Amino acid sequence: MARMKFLCDADRCIECNACVTACKNEHEVPWGINRRRVVTINDGKPGERSISMACMHCTDAPCAAVCPVDCFYTTADGVVLHSKDLCIGCGYCFYACPFGAPQYPRLGNFGSRGKMDKCTYCAGGPEADNTPAEYAKYGSNRLAEGKLPACAEMCSTKALLAGDGDIIAQIYAERVSTRGYGSGAWGWRTAYKDMVSG
Amino acid sequence: MNRFTLTLRTALAVFAICLGAATLSVPNAVAQSAQPVAPAAAHEEVLFRYLQMQGSGTVVGRVTIPDQKAATLIQPGGREFQETWRGPMKWIAAASIIGMLVLVGVFYTVKGPIRTTSGYAGRLIKRFRSIDVFAHWLTAASFVLLAITGLNITFGRYLLLPLLGPEAFTAWSEAAKVAHNFLGFPFTLGVLLMFVLFLKDNIFDKTDLRWFAQGGGMIGHAHPPARKFNGGQKIVYWATVFGGGALAVTGFILMFPFQIVTSIDGMQLTAQLHGIIAFLMIALIIGHIYLGSIGMEGAFSAMWSGKVDLNWAKEHHPLWVEEIMNPTRKDTLPAGAKGAGAD
Amino acid sequence: MLIKRSDAEAVRGGLAASFAALSSGALDRRAFLRRSGVAAGGLAALGTLSAGTVKKAEAGPMQPGVRVELRKNMCTHCSVGCTVLAEVQNGVWVGQEPAWESPINRGTHCAKGAAVRELVHGDRRLKYPMKLEGGQWKRISWAQAIDEIGDKMLRIRNESGPDAAFFLGSAKFSNEGAYLFRKLAAFWGTNNVDHQARICHSTTVAGVANTWGYGAQTNSYNDIRNSKTIVIMGGNPAEAHPVSLQHVLQGKEKNRANLIVIDPRFTRTAAHATEYVRLRPGTDIPLLWGILWHIFENGWEDKEFIRQRVYGMEEVRKEVAKWSPEEVERVTGVPGAQLRRVAEKFAKEKPATLIWCMGMTQHTVGTANVRAACALLLATGNVGGAGNGANIFRGHCNVQGASDFGLDTASLPAYYGLDEGAWRHWCRVWEVDYEWMRGRFGPPGADDATRKRMMELPGITTTRYIDATLLEPVKDGTRQLAEGQPNYRAMLVFGHGGNTVVRMPEAAAALEKLDLLVVADPHPTTFAVLHNRKDNTYLLPICTQFECSGSRTASNRSVQWGEQIVEPIFESKTDYEVIYRLAEKLGFANEMFKNITVRNKVPEPESVLREINRGAWATGYTGISPERLKAHMKYQRYFDLVTLRAGADAPAEVRGDYYGLPWPCWGTPEIRHPGTHILYNTHLHVKDGGGTFRARFGVERNGVSLLAEGSYSKGSEIQDGYPEFTMAVLKRLGWDKDLTAEERAVIERIGGNNVDRVSWATDLSGGIVRVALEHGCSPFGNAKARALAWNLPDPIPVHREPIYSPRPDLVAKYPTRDNFMAHRVINYGRTVQQLAVDRNIARDFPIVLTTGRLVEYEGGGEETRSNKWLAELQQDMFVEINPQDAAERGIRDGQWVLVWGPEMPKGKVCRMKALVTERVGKGVAFMPFHFAGWFMSEDQRRKYPAGTDPIVLGESANTVTTYGFDPVTSMQETKCTLCQIRAA
Repeated sequence: MARMKFLCDADRCIECNACVTACKNEHEVPWGINRRRVVTINDGKPGERSISMACMHCTDAPCAAVCPVDCFYTTADGVVLHSKDLCIGCGYCFYACPFGAPQYPRLGNFGSRGKMDKCTYCAGGPEADNTPAEYAKYGSNRLAEGKLPACAEMCSTKALLAGDGDIIAQIYAERVSTRGYGSGAWGWRTAYKDMVSG
Repeated sequence: MNRFTLTLRTALAVFAICLGAATLSVPNAVAQSAQPVAPAAAHEEVLFRYLQMQGSGTVVGRVTIPDQKAATLIQPGGREFQETWRGPMKWIAAASIIGMLVLVGVFYTVKGPIRTTSGYAGRLIKRFRSIDVFAHWLTAASFVLLAITGLNITFGRYLLLPLLGPEAFTAWSEAAKVAHNFLGFPFTLGVLLMFVLFLKDNIFDKTDLRWFAQGGGMIGHAHPPARKFNGGQKIVYWATVFGGGALAVTGFILMFPFQIVTSIDGMQLTAQLHGIIAFLMIALIIGHIYLGSIGMEGAFSAMWSGKVDLNWAKEHHPLWVEEIMNPTRKDTLPAGAKGAGAD
Repeated sequence: MLIKRSDAEAVRGGLAASFAALSSGALDRRAFLRRSGVAAGGLAALGTLSAGTVKKAEAGPMQPGVRVELRKNMCTHCSVGCTVLAEVQNGVWVGQEPAWESPINRGTHCAKGAAVRELVHGDRRLKYPMKLEGGQWKRISWAQAIDEIGDKMLRIRNESGPDAAFFLGSAKFSNEGAYLFRKLAAFWGTNNVDHQARICHSTTVAGVANTWGYGAQTNSYNDIRNSKTIVIMGGNPAEAHPVSLQHVLQGKEKNRANLIVIDPRFTRTAAHATEYVRLRPGTDIPLLWGILWHIFENGWEDKEFIRQRVYGMEEVRKEVAKWSPEEVERVTGVPGAQLRRVAEKFAKEKPATLIWCMGMTQHTVGTANVRAACALLLATGNVGGAGNGANIFRGHCNVQGASDFGLDTASLPAYYGLDEGAWRHWCRVWEVDYEWMRGRFGPPGADDATRKRMMELPGITTTRYIDATLLEPVKDGTRQLAEGQPNYRAMLVFGHGGNTVVRMPEAAAALEKLDLLVVADPHPTTFAVLHNRKDNTYLLPICTQFECSGSRTASNRSVQWGEQIVEPIFESKTDYEVIYRLAEKLGFANEMFKNITVRNKVPEPESVLREINRGAWATGYTGISPERLKAHMKYQRYFDLVTLRAGADAPAEVRGDYYGLPWPCWGTPEIRHPGTHILYNTHLHVKDGGGTFRARFGVERNGVSLLAEGSYSKGSEIQDGYPEFTMAVLKRLGWDKDLTAEERAVIERIGGNNVDRVSWATDLSGGIVRVALEHGCSPFGNAKARALAWNLPDPIPVHREPIYSPRPDLVAKYPTRDNFMAHRVINYGRTVQQLAVDRNIARDFPIVLTTGRLVEYEGGGEETRSNKWLAELQQDMFVEINPQDAAERGIRDGQWVLVWGPEMPKGKVCRMKALVTERVGKGVAFMPFHFAGWFMSEDQRRKYPAGTDPIVLGESANTVTTYGFDPVTSMQETKCTLCQIRAA
């Protein structure tokens, strides 16, 4: 069984934000909700790197662990999903998430938040695959169609890899050996307690 | 330093203030070392460590979207928050709350309710004004509801979810969340009122030393003398003021996430403090409820009708009785004076 | 009851099923790898597999059960030419899928490409024609709009002549739209027709065409995969052409290539460089000469290449000798040792390519910059082969095609120029009388000589429309506008932002003075709001290229055919239809569309392209038929990633072709020339896309031959240089007997009594081209490239300080050119530069201001700033400022600052956010140029027609930018001026 992961090759990422708009386009994600984002570290200095980041679909996901209503579940592909029918918008998953993935629509009074939204790895939610109900809540379900997440598929420089963890790690390792450098698989240690040797 | 021990230490420090024993000092979380030069072409490890030293353990970069939280690329602290949340936090909660229940149970079984030895005099004296009573019950009622809805966040998943099923539990939890948010306001008002109304009677003085020395009457057989409030009650008062205050402050911070406290570390710490203080407060209040109800004969009416039986008052608060009976008296005890009923 | 996706249910999911197969090795592993982003090499030996194995979507994203149609078009933003694969259900564009089959983008996109669907959905599009009436926008019908516009134009024409109107076209047109728009201007009777290339790569086109023949990228994005040294100078493709970085970075990785970025700003591209060179803005020539100094000093130049294929390198050597490392460092700020390193790599680690963009071109010395860059390539023999060349990344999606089709003040389609021969050629193609055409030109009542003069006089460029409107034609005895050129009274703007030209405060005044302003665009653009006009202003809703079909030419000269994805939304119409309706109203539709199929007033793009095929011999657009292009789009997957050539396994229709038939694609479609992937490549037969440098400038000069010596393309029967092919040349070679009778008849008809003068470019039969190819020769001859271009103002590039130089001390030694008249308008550059020195502008405005692109936005930005998926990513106009400059001014990152320039009205300032960053060096500030809608601190949102205001508004960089124009193309200076900044 595949274990789906993301890997952003920081030596390829150019902060073009295709992943961000591909995600918006694929799922019609509303303004203010950023399921995926690109962060540039060391901006303007030698050693600058940009990294595309979203939910990493962690092993032993912290969000699931702290959820007071236990609305998260992990699919057979290792994708961490949640049920918006169960979520109460408490925000604890944001505190626990090492990657800042959970997003909340702002609702009425004070800081009160709507139901959490996050990257689904283009795998929808608990509803039946590719139904209007699933699309409305979680966006499209590409995995069910045999496709990979739109962000990675459309990445301009093929920096963002998605797919089975072993395969993308192998692709990355080959890249590193071809080019002779690699600044690492960002977030893997935190998400999967694992690193890709570069 | 481990994040959790840090949290715990801070929590204890805060609680110590509640007891009026220490001043708050939030230790500097990160030891700053000399800034290294940015490595030009570095491997993840080097770069990551370098970046961690720039901030407080998180990797922060630049994003173009206005949501500056998104600029935090990786905050491994989330993992620790999670581990703390489902591990030690729950144990602290369980230990303090169950511990107090057990203690109260044992006390009740062993000693039984504290009785008014001389029986009721039948004459009632005014102990609390109606505003006092209002403030108390405002705080008490909101606190109990807050405690229940709050504990649901921590334990509901384990205790209620299996019973109710996911949909019903979510419906309840969602309502509980809304209630928790709104009840914060009456609770805060109650705490503020109590702080103002009861302040003058809750300044610690020498009497309290003796009261504490005698363990509030647990050591020996005599009721140690007390004025309007004894040492124990003063502890509850100050715990309510500081603990309740801290709950209110942390609660509002959590209610307006990233608006008052802007960092993720700050929010995590706030959430943990709110939880730990709440657990300790719940434990304390369980004790308070016990003593104010079945634990002590005659105590409940004080906060119900505002009046208490004279004998009860003489036994537990002799100095206060003297003060109200004879308001001109000096407030020091004559040499050799004994408390009423001390024989 | 809760339905969770249990393990069992997940297995039911399609992916899990695929992966079950994966482990058994049966699947679609290849499809999977492709989707995982596998590149070349190793595991990726599988990388170039056919995409036929990719599983198709069974259900659309939103409407289950409704058939999903897939339609292919191209991204309408930059020039890379990414294929957009649209999913359409019931006529609604419901999704975008990766276009894996395109050899250019291989499924990928940048932020803009991945968000194009919203352009067509956009609820902020202009929905119906509107006009200003007493300062209020009012909805009108198309018929009324065309009627009123036509009447007003005709009145202006009667009063002031056709040259009082300015036809500003667009690089967003399809080739067919661009061609029709140029034709519209010609039939109206003016050369005042221009488009974005003017402010983009006009200097490149001029500089490169004057060096080796054609004004275009010599190689391709894909070919960069072959390079061992890649120098990117004055360009930030990571933001401007993100998908090109796929090829650059993969090439860099595979070859362990040097990637050297030369730029005043540490860009996102520089972050991936192996070496970053920071120069002072506006000192490109000293820097290039500084590199060449080391090359000549150490004898690293390619002596054999220079001997065979370069004219005038000795003159370059003399100029370069003046630029010792010390002087270079004094002027550019770059240390000699670093340039020596760059020089050695560029000369010795070959193939080396030089990539440049606006950082080189948008200068008062733009053409000279480009020429210096060409000299570096020629000196090191880095032109005309795989992995080398001048990889000029053009800007808009069809800026190459729009240039090719003569949306240019100085040329008819296909760079024929404006001389009588050119006009006669196109009149033959259009089947109109030359004399009738001449009669369309000139002021009312002019004689034939005047009409002919105006017909052949290059028109006014978009950079100068302000002066063309405001300057008195003659002032104090000085002619400010060319004789016969009236002030502009009408402007027809198709697909062009109003914030793209420098000196916006003056632009506002010019727009207010016009008698007629027509803006035809999917969005209202800055042209609709910048001024305070009350009447005579029209907005026409034009659909995007996704709502019509047609071909567009990517930067690498590959032509791609876009299918209509959905019908034009709201009341918008295609460019084709609006041009037809205008021509009809103006009274020449019958002549103009004589050979073009028009249905329901909508010209058919295929038939327009066939007319182009009949006339555009000079650029080899003749072999690019609509049928061939459609076949290329259909069989995209057969084209190789690196060579762009379709292999032996490809269907016969495309076998052996280069993707998109990169021009020149010689001869008629029937002879099946494959296109030319790499220009001037002597390693290939011309029939395989080989070629030589074009013989465009005669055969000798001052007794020195201009033809190649001992160099010729593979298989050439003439094994030496030769001139361009004319009937006379054919006859001398005895090859004229190879012409067929039909070809000969056409040539004789064209030549009349001087058949010898009929050339490869004017022979409508294609016979001369065909015969030349048969003998292995380039139809345009085989010459030397010119390091010395004697016809340009600076035949050898010399350094000239910017008009507003931060180094007044250098102005005396390196002044700009004296004032002169170009493109019908006087250029006061020298006067302005001297005034700036005299008034010590550099003291009051101590920060050098440069401008550039953001990845999320494009051009003037209306389209992208109205796209909610993009607008969210850049919500504020900003200025990048170095931390030291910020500290001196008490400016914090993210706070509001005020910026003003030396030409802004006194007391006016622009308000924007500060981005404090080390991307810019001390003393340099950077602004993105896509913003508009705020004008000198005034929010103009209320001035847009209701509901059409872009989501994000901001100050335009060009409100601050200043005077300064290139002498050859009137390119504006946007990359180097001065400004001052303070905290708000």
